[in-house]
Amino acid sequence: MDPIFFHRNPDPATAEGPRQGLRVALQPNLAVAGWPMEAGSRALAGYAAPEDATIVRRLRASGAHLSGSTHMSEFGLGLAGNGTGAALRAGEADVELVLDLMGESRLAAAGAAVCGFKPSYGLVSRFGLVGLIPSMECCGIMSESLGGIRAVLQVVAGQDGLDFSLPEEPVPDFAPETVDPARITVGVVGEAQHDLGVTQEEAFRSAIDGMAGAGFAVRQVSLPEWPLFALVHRIVGSVEASSAAGRYDSVRYGRRASGAKNWNEMYLLSRGAAFGTLLKSYLIQGAYFQFERYGAFEDACRIRARLVGEMRRLMAEVDVLALPAVVSGPRGGEAADDASDAPDGVYAQFALTLFANVTGQPALCLPSTMASHTGLQLVGPRLSDGRLLALAEYLQKTGRGGN
Amino acid sequence: MEFEAVIGLEIHVELNCTTKLFCDCPNRPGDDPNANTCPTCLWLPGAMPRLSEQALEKASLLCLALGAELQPRSAFDQKVYYYPDLPKGYQLSQAHLPLARGGGVDIIDEDGSPCRLRIHHVHMEEDVAKLVHEMEGRVPISLVDFNRAGAPLVEIVTEPDFRAPHQAMEFLKALRTQVRYVGASECSMENGTMRCDANISVRPRGTTQMNTKVEVKNMNSVRHVGDAIAYEIERQGASVQAGEAVVLHTRLWDPDKKATLPMRAKFEGPTVPDPSVSAIELSREWIERMRAQLPEMPAARAERLVEQHGLTRDEALSLSADPESADFLEALVAEGVAPRMAMHWLTTQLLPAVRERRQGLGTSPVSPVRLAGLLHMLAKEEVNAKAARDVLAQMFESDRRPEAIVQACGFSQISDRGALDDLIDQVIRGQESAVANYRAGQEKALGFLVGQVMQASRGKANPKVIRELLVERLGA
Repeated sequence: MDPIFFHRNPDPATAEGPRQGLRVALQPNLAVAGWPMEAGSRALAGYAAPEDATIVRRLRASGAHLSGSTHMSEFGLGLAGNGTGAALRAGEADVELVLDLMGESRLAAAGAAVCGFKPSYGLVSRFGLVGLIPSMECCGIMSESLGGIRAVLQVVAGQDGLDFSLPEEPVPDFAPETVDPARITVGVVGEAQHDLGVTQEEAFRSAIDGMAGAGFAVRQVSLPEWPLFALVHRIVGSVEASSAAGRYDSVRYGRRASGAKNWNEMYLLSRGAAFGTLLKSYLIQGAYFQFERYGAFEDACRIRARLVGEMRRLMAEVDVLALPAVVSGPRGGEAADDASDAPDGVYAQFALTLFANVTGQPALCLPSTMASHTGLQLVGPRLSDGRLLALAEYLQKTGRGGN
Repeated sequence: MEFEAVIGLEIHVELNCTTKLFCDCPNRPGDDPNANTCPTCLWLPGAMPRLSEQALEKASLLCLALGAELQPRSAFDQKVYYYPDLPKGYQLSQAHLPLARGGGVDIIDEDGSPCRLRIHHVHMEEDVAKLVHEMEGRVPISLVDFNRAGAPLVEIVTEPDFRAPHQAMEFLKALRTQVRYVGASECSMENGTMRCDANISVRPRGTTQMNTKVEVKNMNSVRHVGDAIAYEIERQGASVQAGEAVVLHTRLWDPDKKATLPMRAKFEGPTVPDPSVSAIELSREWIERMRAQLPEMPAARAERLVEQHGLTRDEALSLSADPESADFLEALVAEGVAPRMAMHWLTTQLLPAVRERRQGLGTSPVSPVRLAGLLHMLAKEEVNAKAARDVLAQMFESDRRPEAIVQACGFSQISDRGALDDLIDQVIRGQESAVANYRAGQEKALGFLVGQVMQASRGKANPKVIRELLVERLGA
């Protein structure tokens, strides 16, 4: 098995265009015509994409080279068994595209000491993306340089005639812009600092101090309903996942279990054999809310709307939120893989990142120079992606923000 | 104890859109299996639904035609269930926020009184694939045809206002007429473009309780719906009399056995909001634009046909139930044909002739303009009624103008007195006793003599002129 690529692109040819020379690795959940698209799941064994995803089509047209598709966790949920970042480390790609369901692209970046970015929800087409949580997932972008992230975002963002779910909003300008720290207020979310380890806390504090030193107005802010983000993500996310994964019946692709007496048994046996432990637990949980506790799901949807509203109010007071991003659980104790085949463990791992998936805000993670597996997360209001990138670039250039 | 039935209907109407509901594939389920498919309607991973504007418009027109109120905001949900005809695991349907609410259909009840049957709501949904079971070979296999998958459907859910089979049948007929009027669907139960499920429960007459219902499916005609409901009322009444509880389940109508047979326990899967299809927001202006597109509806048209053209109420009602016929009549009148004559020739001559030839009014070679040409000649007494019927028959064979057919075949009526005088002379000479009888005061002898002259002219003489000439000649 190739340690970096699940599928290596055998064809070096690229189109003429502004992104010629840019090498992009993606995950096998993004459709590239003719490539195997297994999304890390046996349920999709043998499935080849019939047509390019919109992101892929736009990248190709810009002249970018698709290096190949990487190894990924099942449908991108969590980071276990995920080869994310390997192509960057090995110098096989300049940019990696990583499905961000609850913070995967940001935590993987913190782990690999590179930059990770989740664009605003609705900014990038999901056509051709095999996902799991349609209302929260987004194609994340990882790169050593923020310029690499911008180069991809500029090409892939915007309206798509094949994805009607994109809201009809003006696409923000991603061109580099000047940053005046005196005019920017940074909100530090108190609730996100409760469970940090000592070195992580120091790294985060130093990043915030650096920003204050550079002239940014730094304010402590509070999200009293912080624990509800995880609850809402878990209920809504698992319900959507249960529906999204409902189509994997092993009939047209995947492996059909033998020995079934009827179609229903064939579904059950095949799905049982195809899905991994984490996904099964997650799907069962979603089906439980769908079939048995629909009222709780409706509550979760209402609370989600309330959280989005609260966040909008907060974002009227500050320009950007700052939070830590920490790999392997907020306490930094247990290793990432131990807790990752149960939803509880995965949700604990992504406790600091998943809120941006609930609200659809753009979120960027810069690696810390002081502590490994740690990063500074910057989160802006929806569609402030360009400003967020500019701010991060300013911090990197000036050496502020602990980066 | 006397029982009454409480009945509600769920009617699926397949919209006659050019494409499917969420992709650009042709909406032609009858083509070669799986000819009209793409990743979206094959429900393959990564494909996304894109709501068709035409489907939204046709569905909206249908709602307005039924008096239902279009909702400013509606949305699609996932109706979750697992079955091989739905390999996506959920059907996109508007479960929580339907396209329209309210509305109703007016019918004439069995006792002749007008009666309004209310609609609860109307929503859009996608059709599922079709399963074909091949049991012939050594290993029986099931094949899936996706031509129908994603076809645009509208479901009309009524209030439980119905008490008798007659009401259900009249409702379906009126509904069909109104939907055809707006051109949203053919609404053929025989071809499956209209499907009706009935929810039926019984209760002691005079009470208001809602008892456990039974769902009945598989009726392939309006008649079957009536029969199935009648059977089910009888069956449930008997089982309640016998002290058995009615269990919630689904039954299938068997038209051969003329009975409903149990199929399965009724399954209600969950419905969750679909995150990929944007909510539909209809502005007031958009709704008014749709309303402006509504044609004159059957009830209003019937009224106008009575007032403007002097048709009887029954004639007007039956004519307006069939927009093609009503259009044809009005086209004849617009060509200057008297409404009574137009009505008479349309219903007693043209429609039977078209039906006999297995054609439609719109596709038959007898256009309103051609028929009007013939009827003008009839009105001016250039042909008589018998000849006109023969000319009509010939008009189906060629596209010649009726005037040319009359000329070529010598159908022209002889109204010229000089040409008739000789014939009358002959008859008066040959029928002495009849002439004598007439002169002796027997009026009916005159009719006989007119007939004799007609025969002598081989049907071409104008009977009115003959009568006048005979009276003139014999009366003096």
